[in-house]
Amino acid sequence: MRRIIILALLLAGMQLILPLGARGYGGQWLLSFGFLVVAADTVGRLVVPIGLPAIVGHLAAGVIFGPQVIGTLSTDAARQLAPVSSLAIALIAFLAGAELRWSELKERGVLLLKILATEMTLVLVAITALLLGMREFVPFLADSPTTTVLVMSLLFASIAVVHSPAVTIALLSETRANGPVARTTLGVVLLSDVVVILLFAGVLAFARAVVPPAASGSTFSLLGVFWEIGGAVLIGGFLGGGIALYLRFVRRELFLFAILVAFFGSEITRLAHVETLLAMLIAGFVAENVSPHALGDALRHAIERSAAPVFVVFFALAGAALDLGAVADLWFVVLPLVAVRSLALWAGAGLGARWGRASLPERQWTWMGLVSQAGVAIGLATVAAEAYPERGDAIRALFLAMLAVNQTLGPILFRLALSRAGELNASAAVTPEVAVPPDRPPDTTLRTT
Amino acid sequence: MSAGFALVLLAIGTYLAAHVAFDWIGRRLLIVSGAEYVLLGILLGPQVAGVLSSDMLESFAPVTALALGWMGAIIGSRFMLTSMVRVPGVTWRIAFAESILTLCIVGGLELVLIRWLFGLSTTRALGPSLALGAFACATAVTGIEFAVRRYGGRGPVAAQLRTTAGTNLFVAVVAFGILLASSHPADRFNSRLLTPTEWTVITVAIGLVGGALFHLLLGNEDRVDRLFISLAGMLTLVSGAATYLRLSPVMASMFFGAMLANTSGQHAEIRSALKRVERPLYFALLIFAGATWRPSAQSAWLLPVLVFLVARGLAKVGGARLVTRANDMLPVLGPDWGRALLGQGGIVMALAVSYLYQDTLALPNVVFTAAVVSVVLTDLVSGRLAASVLVPAQPSVTDPAKASALAEVR
Repeated sequence: MRRIIILALLLAGMQLILPLGARGYGGQWLLSFGFLVVAADTVGRLVVPIGLPAIVGHLAAGVIFGPQVIGTLSTDAARQLAPVSSLAIALIAFLAGAELRWSELKERGVLLLKILATEMTLVLVAITALLLGMREFVPFLADSPTTTVLVMSLLFASIAVVHSPAVTIALLSETRANGPVARTTLGVVLLSDVVVILLFAGVLAFARAVVPPAASGSTFSLLGVFWEIGGAVLIGGFLGGGIALYLRFVRRELFLFAILVAFFGSEITRLAHVETLLAMLIAGFVAENVSPHALGDALRHAIERSAAPVFVVFFALAGAALDLGAVADLWFVVLPLVAVRSLALWAGAGLGARWGRASLPERQWTWMGLVSQAGVAIGLATVAAEAYPERGDAIRALFLAMLAVNQTLGPILFRLALSRAGELNASAAVTPEVAVPPDRPPDTTLRTT
Repeated sequence: MSAGFALVLLAIGTYLAAHVAFDWIGRRLLIVSGAEYVLLGILLGPQVAGVLSSDMLESFAPVTALALGWMGAIIGSRFMLTSMVRVPGVTWRIAFAESILTLCIVGGLELVLIRWLFGLSTTRALGPSLALGAFACATAVTGIEFAVRRYGGRGPVAAQLRTTAGTNLFVAVVAFGILLASSHPADRFNSRLLTPTEWTVITVAIGLVGGALFHLLLGNEDRVDRLFISLAGMLTLVSGAATYLRLSPVMASMFFGAMLANTSGQHAEIRSALKRVERPLYFALLIFAGATWRPSAQSAWLLPVLVFLVARGLAKVGGARLVTRANDMLPVLGPDWGRALLGQGGIVMALAVSYLYQDTLALPNVVFTAAVVSVVLTDLVSGRLAASVLVPAQPSVTDPAKASALAEVR
């Protein structure tokens, strides 16, 4: 009841304020940001008691208060808040990298690779086959020659394999889950981020060779893709090294340092035209694994605390950007796509886990953590749309419609998986709020927040 | 250089400066850092080097607006009613009288001068003169705190200085908030224009409703991350609402901060969360304020600035002496304790930036220049001025007049 009152007061306040004010001097930006933090956080807390993750509430708040429903957050205001999303992606990627420990990779890397290989292959094949079968109903495939249909289906499928580190990290942080399913899901999702960029680059290069675009709007080159990946590794490595030095010699004001790292990382990668997510992931990995354990932990906790409002707004903005109209228009293609992708994930993750001799819960539940899709996928869809301008709008519309469903369904399934595996709140008792003493022995497990 | 990258470099610079300059220089040399950031901003700004262009400054506006609100909340969080009721009545009388006297003297003199010098009507000249009166009223708390920490903060002079500095901030922020409410641009969305009183009430209401919502939002949670989300969200909302409505974000947030300090059981954590972000935002605000400075188009700009500096100095020192004498407290506080109130502090830059944001007020560059000059001149010496008052003030009870006055204070 309390939260309903908050939402009612907020909406009433915004309805009173919006017609009275004027643009300029950052007022609208701040007002929208503050409103989204409070409103999305409230809706997030509202859905938790009914068994849904808070992220779904944040997304729902974005949909409800966004331009498509109530409209308290206008399209213009959402566009102004775009830098928040860049900052959030950088923070999420850094946190994701910081979750990976070298010892963990050595110990469980083979299992993660086996799961990744099987689930990606199955999703790629299944989505390609489905699109081939439904070619007459898919807007960007209808009436095209078979070669084109095959290449475009493969291109679409190479985007459909993407997972969402943002949702995975945020949900693990929210539920404080820890255990085999949480660790395996996180590992697969993080590794897939690197693999998927390479896969997409390869498929796109192949597609351009086989089906040259009629008029290309982008300046795609293989060298560019290699720089995007290699440069990201290079910049991420340097950034991570710098952070490790700071942690070793300065160690102060980690809260502010965390925000600055994210700002700096996202700006540097933007200026250098390299993949932000990968660079920040590497930076987090290097910083965490080079620094003493306690200092790395302290930085991670500082980021989690300082970034909380940014994450809330990030997911609310993602909700506001969901194209409900496209889902309604393309439901007859979207629903089979979502179903087949989920089925392929279930089969692929299960087979991979068996192949890697994982525990029973990992075999049963890991696939549910792989359903979510977000940031990187949108970026790749945009690149594909730019590479094929004549089909671009149709590719992007179908992909965003599929993403809208996966984005909503994914967090619910992942929470359900963690709950079934008995891993919810497992790390609450052992996750320190402040830095652990420096003499603590190194952790050999992959930690979740 | 892109705006985002400039912001990153600026943030790194202010972040490092916050540690090197603020702590080290402040503790050892009793120098309150602040003025140098204003100067740095002027040097980086469009008027000199052009590293920070006008477009870039415009894109930083949300950060500046948030900094204004954050400063307001920190000022508000100082007003703890439980501590305030323990301060003797005579201390409050002296503090309020000194504040109002400074406001009236500087504001009145500037009103006469601006009318005569620029040929403005009384109504039009009221804006800049009241703003300058409010600026004159404000006192830097940091310089006093540094001096009190070094020379002991338990004597009556220290108590008077702390109370007066807090009162000065309150009067300055409220006077400026009322000025913005009074000069609010006509609103075409309304069937009727809102009155200045209504805008003032709206400013206060934004802060108080924000405080109430904060409590609703937080509920019984005591986790630090929950507290920070609620605090950051509500403070952003309060600052954004006030800025969006062309009202004073400093005043709205001050009431928000005061409400949290007095109604929350976690006021220590709230103050600590506010303080955690305060310094970098403060330095960023000073640099943006410096960069925003533009020389006045008016050829006679120097005279109002000079009058402001001289009148403020006289009003602070003379006014403090006058009200102390009127309250029979000269034996305890001494005749010159008003010197310690001369430091201006970042709040004046915050108010001056707010003044610039109002397109309807007269002489924005003259007013802003007066604020910049005053901050640059007084900030470096504010700690030493406070120390010069505190060091000789060792009350002795051998004098019957002092004993009686001390008894009243205690």
